Amino acid sequence: MMDCLEFRRQAGADPQHLGPEAREHAGACKQCAGHLAGLLALDERILAALQVPVPGTAAAPGRGGAAIAVLDRRRWMALAASIIGGVLVGTLLWVGGPRNSLAQDLIEHLDHEPEALVATNRPEKDTVLGKVLERGGIRLRPETPLVSYASSCRFRGHTVPHLVVQTTGGPVTVMVLRNERPAAPVHFDEQGFAGRIVPAGPGSIAVIGADGADLGEIAARVLAAVEWLDD
Amino acid sequence: MNAPLAGKHGEAAFATLCDELRPDLFRFAFWLARDRSVAEDVVQEALLRAWRSRDSLTEVGAAKPWLLTIIRREHARLYERRRHVTVSVDELVGSESPELAAVEQQETLDVRRAIFALEDDYREPLVMQVLLGLSTQQIADQLGLTQSAVLTRLFRARQKLRRALGGTTEGEGE
Repeated sequence: MMDCLEFRRQAGADPQHLGPEAREHAGACKQCAGHLAGLLALDERILAALQVPVPGTAAAPGRGGAAIAVLDRRRWMALAASIIGGVLVGTLLWVGGPRNSLAQDLIEHLDHEPEALVATNRPEKDTVLGKVLERGGIRLRPETPLVSYASSCRFRGHTVPHLVVQTTGGPVTVMVLRNERPAAPVHFDEQGFAGRIVPAGPGSIAVIGADGADLGEIAARVLAAVEWLDD
Repeated sequence: MNAPLAGKHGEAAFATLCDELRPDLFRFAFWLARDRSVAEDVVQEALLRAWRSRDSLTEVGAAKPWLLTIIRREHARLYERRRHVTVSVDELVGSESPELAAVEQQETLDVRRAIFALEDDYREPLVMQVLLGLSTQQIADQLGLTQSAVLTRLFRARQKLRRALGGTTEGEGE
């Protein structure tokens, strides 16, 4: 069993992606669970501080125009024209094509935590699951399938619940995305994964399984099981 | 995954990709340079270079680390050219924050000041992890370090920040 010093070294380096041993330790050691909560809270503060306003966006203070004026305007305009033109055509390709950036980001995220997606009948510890749900602003109703893994993960600048639920068709990943709201349900099937991103509550829920999995039923069950709490 | 990055459609997709990633690229450049105008120059030059060599990018999934590498190189070039003078953290924060101070909480400014004060070796991997969501292996690849060295730097970065912000680091070892 991992000791407190080793846990704190691991958690201090990467509190968002603890290994199974570290998560087990946090579930069993109150002091280390508190330490982890402090680290996750620190990460939230760090993220807020790192998100400086970006020139040219609505949230940015007004230095952008002046900055552009002192740059080589001709080269800037050439780049801007190509990007703006590209955005128009690219948006059409994006919507109509097989590629979806949110789906890609989800798959990339899953690649970071391959150990989570295993078939098991061992449920995640209540304390771990409870913290993840609380941080994600959700509750799970009793009819939820068995949750074997829970982690608060950094995804597109937000901390989101990353769960793995066990189904008859194998383990399925569920990501609760309060800050991502697609206009319509998204289906994807690429890189060995099948997925659905379904608008739900203030955002959406992504359900991702193995290539060819029938996610219709599990998506419906997950949607029914998630209760969104107010911010 | 092979992504549609070849031909005219590829150009459009590439431009869209750059547009989507621009906020992250700017913030990364900002935390490298700790200066808004330098960050803007770095991003502009980096995007021009990326556009010229876009044919070498064959997978959309690899775009972010690829662009981050270009940003880092461009920042190093600009840094060499300008031979930046050293200024104090208070000056840096002061030059950065007047407009932000009006709209941001004091706590955020305190954390920002502490991050400004971190040495480059600690600040850069922390930005890559917390802001850009890179894995420790991806950070190691970017910085040419072992994963273990990256983990040590990330641990120390958080430890330094917690000390700077008045927290205790007892029971963590060095």
